[in-house]
Amino acid sequence: MISDRVASNLKAEFRRNLLPKIGLVVLTAILLMALFAPVLATHNPNTTGYFDDGTSYPPMGTTAESYEVVDGERQSIEVEPSSEHLLGTNNVGQDVFSRLLYGARTSLLVGTLGTGIAVIMGVPFGLISGYFGGRIDDAMMRVADVMLAFPSLVLALALVGVFGSMTVSIPDPFVAAGLAEGMPSSTPLPGTVTLVVGLVTWVWFARVARGEAMAIRNEEYVTAARSLGASDATILFKHVLPNSLTPVIVLATIQVASVILLESSLSFLGFSGTTLSWGYEIQQGQEYLRQNWWISTIPGVGIVLAVISINLLGDWLRDSLDPNIEGEGGGAA
Amino acid sequence: MEGADNLNAGRRSVLKAAGIIGTTTGLGAIAGCLDDPNEGEGTEEIVITQGEIIENPDPNDHITGPYFNVLDPVYEPLFNVTPEFEFEPRVVEDWEDTDDGAELTLRDDVVFHNGDEMTAEDVAYTFNRMIDPEVGIESDQAAGLGSIDNAEAVDDTTVLLEHEVAPSLAEYEYANYGRVVNQAWIEEREQPVAGDSADAFNGTGPYEVVEYEPDVQVVLEPFDDYWGEETTLERVVFNADGESSGRANALETGESDIVDNIIPEDVPGIDDADGVEIREETSLRNVFLVMKSGVEPFDSTEFRRAMNYAVDNEGIISNALGGYGAPMSQPIPEGVFGYNPDLDPYQQDVEQAEQLVEESGYAGAEITLYSPEGRYLNDADVAQMAADQIDQLENVSCEFNTAPFPDISDANSAGYDDEEMPFFLIGWGVITGDSDYGLAPFFTEDAALETLRNQEISEMILESQTIEDESEREQQLQEINAQLREEAPWVFLHSQDSVYGVREDLEWEPRTDESIYLWEIN
Amino acid sequence: MAFGKFLLKRSLQGILVVWGVVTVLFGLRAITPGDPVNLIVDPAVDLETRERIRQELGLDEPIYVQYGDYLGDLLVGDLGYSYQSSRPVATMVIERVPATLELAIAATIVALVIAIPLGVISGTRRNEPADYGATSFSLVGISTPNFWLGIMLILLLAVEFNIFPTGRRPVAFHDALWTFLTTFYVGDLLTWLHHIALPAVTLGTYFTALITRLTRSGMLDEYGKPYVTATEAKGIPETLIRYKHVLRNTMIPIITVLGLQLGTLIGGAVVTETVFSWPGLGLRLITAINNLDWPLIQGIIVFVGISYVIINIGVDAIYATLNPRVLDE
Repeated sequence: MISDRVASNLKAEFRRNLLPKIGLVVLTAILLMALFAPVLATHNPNTTGYFDDGTSYPPMGTTAESYEVVDGERQSIEVEPSSEHLLGTNNVGQDVFSRLLYGARTSLLVGTLGTGIAVIMGVPFGLISGYFGGRIDDAMMRVADVMLAFPSLVLALALVGVFGSMTVSIPDPFVAAGLAEGMPSSTPLPGTVTLVVGLVTWVWFARVARGEAMAIRNEEYVTAARSLGASDATILFKHVLPNSLTPVIVLATIQVASVILLESSLSFLGFSGTTLSWGYEIQQGQEYLRQNWWISTIPGVGIVLAVISINLLGDWLRDSLDPNIEGEGGGAA
Repeated sequence: MEGADNLNAGRRSVLKAAGIIGTTTGLGAIAGCLDDPNEGEGTEEIVITQGEIIENPDPNDHITGPYFNVLDPVYEPLFNVTPEFEFEPRVVEDWEDTDDGAELTLRDDVVFHNGDEMTAEDVAYTFNRMIDPEVGIESDQAAGLGSIDNAEAVDDTTVLLEHEVAPSLAEYEYANYGRVVNQAWIEEREQPVAGDSADAFNGTGPYEVVEYEPDVQVVLEPFDDYWGEETTLERVVFNADGESSGRANALETGESDIVDNIIPEDVPGIDDADGVEIREETSLRNVFLVMKSGVEPFDSTEFRRAMNYAVDNEGIISNALGGYGAPMSQPIPEGVFGYNPDLDPYQQDVEQAEQLVEESGYAGAEITLYSPEGRYLNDADVAQMAADQIDQLENVSCEFNTAPFPDISDANSAGYDDEEMPFFLIGWGVITGDSDYGLAPFFTEDAALETLRNQEISEMILESQTIEDESEREQQLQEINAQLREEAPWVFLHSQDSVYGVREDLEWEPRTDESIYLWEIN
Repeated sequence: MAFGKFLLKRSLQGILVVWGVVTVLFGLRAITPGDPVNLIVDPAVDLETRERIRQELGLDEPIYVQYGDYLGDLLVGDLGYSYQSSRPVATMVIERVPATLELAIAATIVALVIAIPLGVISGTRRNEPADYGATSFSLVGISTPNFWLGIMLILLLAVEFNIFPTGRRPVAFHDALWTFLTTFYVGDLLTWLHHIALPAVTLGTYFTALITRLTRSGMLDEYGKPYVTATEAKGIPETLIRYKHVLRNTMIPIITVLGLQLGTLIGGAVVTETVFSWPGLGLRLITAINNLDWPLIQGIIVFVGISYVIINIGVDAIYATLNPRVLDE
């Protein structure tokens, strides 16, 4: 587990460096935005707007070009922003700011739950493989190799194709408590996507856990425990697992970032099932780039900030704890 | 629904493999002026860029509008279809109804591109090939030829088509489908005809294929031994780009002369560009929300009507479609035989909707609307707005999700009482121009896409198929459409306009059936 | 262990992996809900016909027979026929390979050309402004989803300033090259370059960032090692040390990581091809998944899996040559 030495290392690194501080502040801000989305949002993110000519409001401080039809002639007009809509509206008149907040929910939920699934699958797999070694290890590592031979996005796409894009509605506590009137009573979690990102990334945890288990299995205290008659299960659970946690935590942090990128790619490609997602919003905006640059641009900034802040914290953990791990990384995932 | 709704190329690239433009652009175009070996003098070449081109070269194995556009110059239609859906002689010179079917008289000077003469045997084989998989293929056009039982060559220029339905219905079927293939040539090949070179085509049309790159481009040049008039175009390139903005761009930069399916957002760009313009026409393609009548709460007619009152189609059309659409008043679009001109679209009326929901006994219902993405013009936007409008009702809550098209398609053919996905957006093109094609698959008992179980309506539709008198049949169809408006099996949304970008100096008008015929271009 | 034996062992493992990939895909196909016959014919087609199609495709056979047939077909290179287009899947895969290969190679070139100098500068001028610049760039680079980057590039350089096209691949590289070699006409090559520029940068950015990071930390590590200090003491000019020794040793981990990241490159290509309508394997895969065209999905992924395994064996072989110790492990 986390020893005093490790803790002081973490603190020292944090004090010395500016970057983890930035990461922490930004990530906290995004977490709060996601958590309190129903309270902070200015509009119901699903409410569509009504404009006779299909105009969208640009973000505050900017103007946009549009057109109107006068006597059958198309005339260029300038669209002023609306004080109602901080970051403007999208192509169906929904409030971009409110959707940004709800999009953060989706990204972070899928990021953490998906990584959680990967940890639960990958860590036991790796520990068993590394602890027992030999043929068991050989066989299990071939399974891991098979997983690695699928690019994760490609496998994720195939899996979504198989299972369909099912969503799970999570009731919103703020709305239930009456604190956020007019907001959606539940948030749709892209269930298939969450499951699938876990299924395609567990193997990285398996590799790390295996490495740790191999290093530990011949340590004196493990052999001692074994000679005292402890069962393999006990040893795995009591000694090997706790010792492998540090690298797993570091990897998990980095993986949350790459899972967020993976989720956004799947949503971008139209496979998430929910529309309250940054990736979906970017895809929607792609067709409107000529007039409404902001629809695609703003959610992308959300993704980049979330991923950078998590990566900064990941770097900090890695530098302080110095585990030897390789994750998948993610920009292109 | 690999069927008629395929007519619409999706607006987003993710759905259909996008293709490539054949000519040079940008830097290349500049360099091209200096020293392009391909540049001929005075060649009238036009480039048509569609959302998709053909998937395979077989003219009898698809039912997709843009594919017809590519293949029709090569495998010409048996009849000319006027923009008003009148049939005129082409390969078939004359036709008349007999006791047990229809007798087609063919031209005697039609030649295939490989030099073989076309015979009545070929025509009969073509029909049998489509309707009988034992003879030929599992054709997507088989459903469109549903009432034709058999084809037989009587002599060298006469073919007898057997059917037992009303002559006008049968005529709609055989005159719309059927691109004649060469029996001997086909039988040497695998079925359906595959292949990825110009050799994989052998029709009787005015153009022959000189170059074929699958999913990328088809290049046509005039066929010298064509029986008809001389062609006006010396070279035609069909290519594909899955993105509307990409097609708009190709038109604006002069890479392309006609582009299809321009979304409203790309219209201003084309309007502003020099030498090109937008041309639009209403289409026969409807977009609607299916409500499976065997599933709660949609088993209540009041509830289904409430949904129609909840939705503001005109608001959706002006917002999500940039005005390029017309509200639906009945299951079939205007211009189709049997359309009832006396019916009005449902007008949004929230109070009435809420009251009807109360009456239905399903107040407090929670429903979820599913929509494909990129299959129809701004489909997810349309559905999202409709779902939100329903959600605004005091006594109904409506969620919205997108779903992959195969799931929607499965749900569509899963029966009227399929619980899994009872409420979804889908489209249907009444491409034959006859109401039957828009009614029978959905509203007759145990039909493939049954969404409403209503014995009376089902019987009326079946009966209409056998009414010989044309005006009597029209009246019956109009009555069915009126009843269906009241039954509200769908949330009637709109029929889409088809919007093209065209080089200004081209003489060509879009058609409601979305066909692009090269012989109509000047 | 001798090099040959090492290679043999890795190849056998590779075959095992490919078999695993094939089996997983077969399993996925088998559990996919929905009737595949629906994907082949119009839903309006009658039951009798459907039954016959099911028989023709062997869908009525027990699952193990189908599996055996599938493996047997694969062994002779038969990937079956696409549900959607009835074309042979093998052809549909092969014809799309050049486009994806062009994109992947162009992206890798972009990455190497930018990243190695950047990493070297960053590594040798630690904590100077150039280092901060390079480090920030690589942080943003690995954190940016490439579809968004692509769209931003389109927004700026295609829509706003009209310097580059929004997408598409009007001419294949090999055709353009052939035209050039036979007629000395460069137009097609320029067109190709013009169209691939944005997609290559989009796909290459993540790798640029990654390699910059690796080069930088590799340089820092190597500088701390005794041999560098020793050669410095011998009076060998610093630039020479930097480029010859340090950089060469830094390349070893970079090659390994590139091999491991091949999956990311392919995943990235899928997204990049979508953004730019680049007609490669990725775009075809998306279409196939949207249509649930299983023979085509299987064909593409099996092809990708095999390429991945072969390239990784290649990477291992290079690694073993550079670093013979691994042969003993």
